Amino acid sequence: MNKTELLDLMEKVAKNRDEIAFSILFDFLAPKINAYYLQNGLAKENAEELTQEVMSIIWTKSDYYDPSKSAVTTWVFTIARNKKVDFLRKNSKINFNEEDIREFLYEENKTDIINENEIKEQVSKINQLLDEYQRKIIKMNFFENKSHKKIAEELEIPLGTVKSKIRHILLKMQKLL
Amino acid sequence: MNGTDLKNQLIFDFASGSLGPSKSIFASTYLYLNSKASNLNKTFENILGENLFDNDNVALPKLKYTDCISNKSVISQKPNQTSSPITKVIGSLDKIKWKQVFRGFSEFSLNINDENNLKLIKMDPGISAPLHSHDGKEFILVLNGSFHDEYGKYSKGDLQINDQNIKHTPIACEDEGCVCLTITEKDVIFFGRYGSFLNLFTFIKSFFK
Repeated sequence: MNKTELLDLMEKVAKNRDEIAFSILFDFLAPKINAYYLQNGLAKENAEELTQEVMSIIWTKSDYYDPSKSAVTTWVFTIARNKKVDFLRKNSKINFNEEDIREFLYEENKTDIINENEIKEQVSKINQLLDEYQRKIIKMNFFENKSHKKIAEELEIPLGTVKSKIRHILLKMQKLL
Repeated sequence: MNGTDLKNQLIFDFASGSLGPSKSIFASTYLYLNSKASNLNKTFENILGENLFDNDNVALPKLKYTDCISNKSVISQKPNQTSSPITKVIGSLDKIKWKQVFRGFSEFSLNINDENNLKLIKMDPGISAPLHSHDGKEFILVLNGSFHDEYGKYSKGDLQINDQNIKHTPIACEDEGCVCLTITEKDVIFFGRYGSFLNLFTFIKSFFK
């Protein structure tokens, strides 16, 4: 599947309530979302439950997806991430008025509208800038939310090296933005 | 790390969903006030979205797409996006019951029970906070007005992050003073004229938390 096909399916779901299009989206996205939750340390049954919720949101709220504001993948990622945050907060021992906070945390910020091409360009520039190893570290740290310590263990490099590498990557990215 | 790395780190941690409640409120307020930070967040989210697109697949043998279509627990409701995150938590900034720490310097603690201390501080025009350094990191976001210190001037939407090696003396600008949202990872250590008194004060205060 490429990004254009993904966008096309999304539009069919939003405009025509096309269940076949949704089933294709489901087959493509659900196993990846499930993997994301497992990588983030969730138990199998929780990962499944959250994946179902995310896919239900995609079906129900598809008309709120705005292609001029974000790529389909970004939109789906933010839904999956928000569900993860909700889940972790509900299950943490932190005592606070969760509803108050959850309501606004990850709602859309008013941004200058960046168009899809600019985003693609930015992301591909960053991808070119980083080598495979650096991309892997970024993925482990921010996508899979692994601690620096865990990354050091898995890559078998010293903790200080992980920290300096991440610092270096973030600075490198900063220069492009 | 210098300030830019720390800001990037905060935004990236926000985008990836790994911040605790205090820092989440802080970061979302920052993104709301600062369009540069907000665009950076958007780019980070895009990169994370790309990661999702290219992610491994782990099949879900039991779950069918029809289970998601028939799931009635999701209600379609458009998110409202009107006011700043911080005013949503505490209401209007004008109606805050400030607690005076010393003349011209007040604070208001948001009681969010996590490892960080989220506070609003208000400095009257020309007031300086005593020289202090920090045990953990300190994040200062200007909500209104401006302040300056040895490192520069900070206005609405500007963020300063200080680590434990930094000693600075913020002074609120003469014309309007300033209101800031701050996070301290651990209690601040004061130096200077009022230093020992304030340390004692911080120490005593910690018993009444």
